[in-house]
Amino acid sequence: MLSVLIFGPLVAGLVVFLLRDGRQAKTLALVLAGLMVVWMGVVLARFDVAVPGIQLTEFMPWLPNLGLNYHLGCDGLSVSLLALNAIITWIVVYSTPVGVVRPQLYYGLVLWVSGGLAGAFAAQNALLFALFYDLELIPIYFLIGIWGGARKEYAALKFLLYTAVSGILLLGGILALGWLSGQADFDYGHIRGTVAGLPLAVQWTLLLTLLLGFGIKTPLVPLHTWLPDAYVEASPPIAILLGGILAKLGTYGLVRFGVQLFPDLWLQLSPGLAVWGTAGVLFGALTAIAQKDIKRMVAYSSIGHMGYVMLGCATATPLSLVGAISQMVSHGLILAILFHLVGVVEAKVGTRELDVLNGLMNPLRGLPTVSSLLVLGGMASAGIPGMVGFVAEFLVFQGSYQVFPLLTLLCVLGTGLTAVYFVILLNRTCFGKLDNRTAYYPPVWAAEKIPALVLAGLILFLGIQPHWLVQWSEQTAQSLSLTTVAVAPQVSRLLPE
Amino acid sequence: MTTATLEPRTKLPPSQHEFAEVVHRLEAGGAMVPDTPENLMQIVGIWYAYAVPMDFYWRDLLYIGEQVFLNPLAFRKFFISEEYLNRHNHYAGDDADLRIWRGEATAHPELLKFIRQGETRPLPRWLHHLWHDRINMEFAEECMRAMLWHRGMGGQFDPYLDSEEYKQNADRAIRAYFQGNPLMLGLYRLFPEMFLEQCRQASYYANLGLFWEIMAPVFFEIHDQYLEGKIATVKDAMNFIVNGIFAIAGRPIYHHVYIRGECYEVIPKSKGFMWLYEAALPYVEAVFYRTSPFRGTKSYNAQAGMVPDKQEDFHYGVLYADKFPVGTAGIPPTLLAQDMFHFLPDYLLDYYRKHCRKEGDMLIQLAISFQRSMYCVTSAVFQALRAALLYPLDDPNPRHLLANRRFFEAQLDRFCRPEYGIRDAARLSYIQTPDYR
Repeated sequence: MLSVLIFGPLVAGLVVFLLRDGRQAKTLALVLAGLMVVWMGVVLARFDVAVPGIQLTEFMPWLPNLGLNYHLGCDGLSVSLLALNAIITWIVVYSTPVGVVRPQLYYGLVLWVSGGLAGAFAAQNALLFALFYDLELIPIYFLIGIWGGARKEYAALKFLLYTAVSGILLLGGILALGWLSGQADFDYGHIRGTVAGLPLAVQWTLLLTLLLGFGIKTPLVPLHTWLPDAYVEASPPIAILLGGILAKLGTYGLVRFGVQLFPDLWLQLSPGLAVWGTAGVLFGALTAIAQKDIKRMVAYSSIGHMGYVMLGCATATPLSLVGAISQMVSHGLILAILFHLVGVVEAKVGTRELDVLNGLMNPLRGLPTVSSLLVLGGMASAGIPGMVGFVAEFLVFQGSYQVFPLLTLLCVLGTGLTAVYFVILLNRTCFGKLDNRTAYYPPVWAAEKIPALVLAGLILFLGIQPHWLVQWSEQTAQSLSLTTVAVAPQVSRLLPE
Repeated sequence: MTTATLEPRTKLPPSQHEFAEVVHRLEAGGAMVPDTPENLMQIVGIWYAYAVPMDFYWRDLLYIGEQVFLNPLAFRKFFISEEYLNRHNHYAGDDADLRIWRGEATAHPELLKFIRQGETRPLPRWLHHLWHDRINMEFAEECMRAMLWHRGMGGQFDPYLDSEEYKQNADRAIRAYFQGNPLMLGLYRLFPEMFLEQCRQASYYANLGLFWEIMAPVFFEIHDQYLEGKIATVKDAMNFIVNGIFAIAGRPIYHHVYIRGECYEVIPKSKGFMWLYEAALPYVEAVFYRTSPFRGTKSYNAQAGMVPDKQEDFHYGVLYADKFPVGTAGIPPTLLAQDMFHFLPDYLLDYYRKHCRKEGDMLIQLAISFQRSMYCVTSAVFQALRAALLYPLDDPNPRHLLANRRFFEAQLDRFCRPEYGIRDAARLSYIQTPDYR
């Protein structure tokens, strides 16, 4: 069942490569991405939220001598990110302009990335995970390097170097994990059982190696410097792909490999990790405030929001883990809508400069729908109640406050700072008055609004009905949690039905 | 009657004014707007679209000034009576005092059709009103209030409103109006100035109504002549207005109130207040130049010196107005634009459909056309004043031509107000290019 989510896009990507008529590429990619969303619905329907462990498993021996098996399955963490991947892929394909150059290559690569991501999220074998993890590298390099902005080569190369290091660290860590534990099987279940038997120094080394690898991918401060360039130089759809789902590989790895495989060490390390996450929150927010380019501002906001995930993971209570997983989904949706809208603004107005943009809320000559949705996206990112961002951040804070009250308060301050830079962005961009001489922007077509409307609908729906966001991961988070805080309330008691 | 169509035989050295090109155009008898077929089409077309609602404005203004008067609960002041809708315009129809428009004297057929069914379908008028499917009198009232608020703009009408004679006339009318209403009469005894001020406002309702009663047929006739090919240039259109100004300059401005069938002359015709000096010029000054900062989403900051201390220095009129209805200068343009939108001639609709966002931003496109057309009207006022106060454009005496030039340059100086940081605020430089839409 899960294989469809992997091989559907991979095979379709190959077919798209081979198409002679470029105009058919988008249609085929769109149909496939839509089918994947539908199929994901089937997966969700068959997923039993009451079961904490792995479900919908698929197993096929591949290279047993190497410990590499085709072993798939999903728990609450995986299924949430698989769903996000399906939605974001459709958004990316739909929001790509019709006239994109070399469409066969473009859509083929996007589908490959999507299939690879699905493989990584569904993999139950560490080597298989590493394989899919590294499968993303080259397609994304091309997607930035060919279809990016003015400094695309630089950004693509920087992304390649950073994530290649991340991949090497990850692969090294996984191989060492298997070999040092004397296991010939890299399935998560087997590894988990043997890690505790390793010498403490070895465990520390392995955990730090994996942390570094996933820290680059997430990215966590100060391993983040590839992110602003990659996000800003990538075309808006690719920025959505990067920030919306690809970066979640890092946070997924933190939970899957950090929390799940090294529970004792993770607990010892958690204060430091929480400080790390909080530093990311404050750094991201303060740096975003200083930006003059709205895309770069959104990119830095992403760094800040990954800090919340880190805080939730570090705390590792049932509630904070549900919050962290929810934050991954929430951030994916919010970042996608923001990047899409920023892309529309840039395409219509011709600039992303905060000092130049003004008055886009103007009902006749501005971009009123885009501006309204931008306001909604900003509010969601700032954690305004009624939207998905609030639910995720609230759960993280509720979970982490019992363990790290001061750091949680600092992160709450971070959400305040998020509101600050979004107020700056919205005030300068959407409000004020248009310039009589220059405001002859082309209209925004319905097709350009649809991705944002879909995302806005999800942001609102999951904000008003958070049950649909957290129910998938509640049991998984319970089983993954490392800290039992006596006063930690159940998620279901915190959220309305 | 004087027209401004002659080329000067005596040449002056080129003007050094910032708007030298415009000065030279005015000296040649032209307008501030470049004389192009495209501009002419916009100007004449928008005048027609303006004249139809204006045909309602003047009728309702007179209805309010003469019939509604001081009604404190004037909920129906925009629902004018059939009598006023059928009232004969004094400058159109067979029984006109001076026939400017060859059409009918009663309300324009397009206006009557619109009042009946609006943009939706035939419904009771109050439903059209609540649905805003109507002529928006708020714009006309805003113009009236601009004239009332910017008092002291010259002429005799305005000082007369403070005279004892006016107060006595108003007193008679107020007492008659509230006869048998002890509450209002008691309030009048307590706050006489408040009632008097309301009476002055009613006088300005009448003033503006009488002004627009003339302008509507003027614009209709220009449009008809344009379609017949008799008006072929912007200069022709402007000169029609100049000639019209002189032809009707002496039309009396008065304020009569009708209470229970009896006429109370608050401002009698016998005072001799003339249309040109007591209505037209104050209107141009108040509405084209001054008005007040538009109450939009972004306000001017008076504490920061963004609003002039003196009212005569206000520069928020239609000539300065921002085309975007997001609070800057000008009388709230959106309601007028909405009114004109209903009556755009087909050729103008086709023109707008070829530019910018087509139907999507037609309200802005027509607001720009309206601004261009008002520069043309202002040019007519310049030329009329020049003809009345100074010298012919073909005067052989260079000193006279120089005096004309000083006059034109002084007028254009009003569009440059660097002392308020708004050197570019007036849209004179904008309308010189067709790309300003």
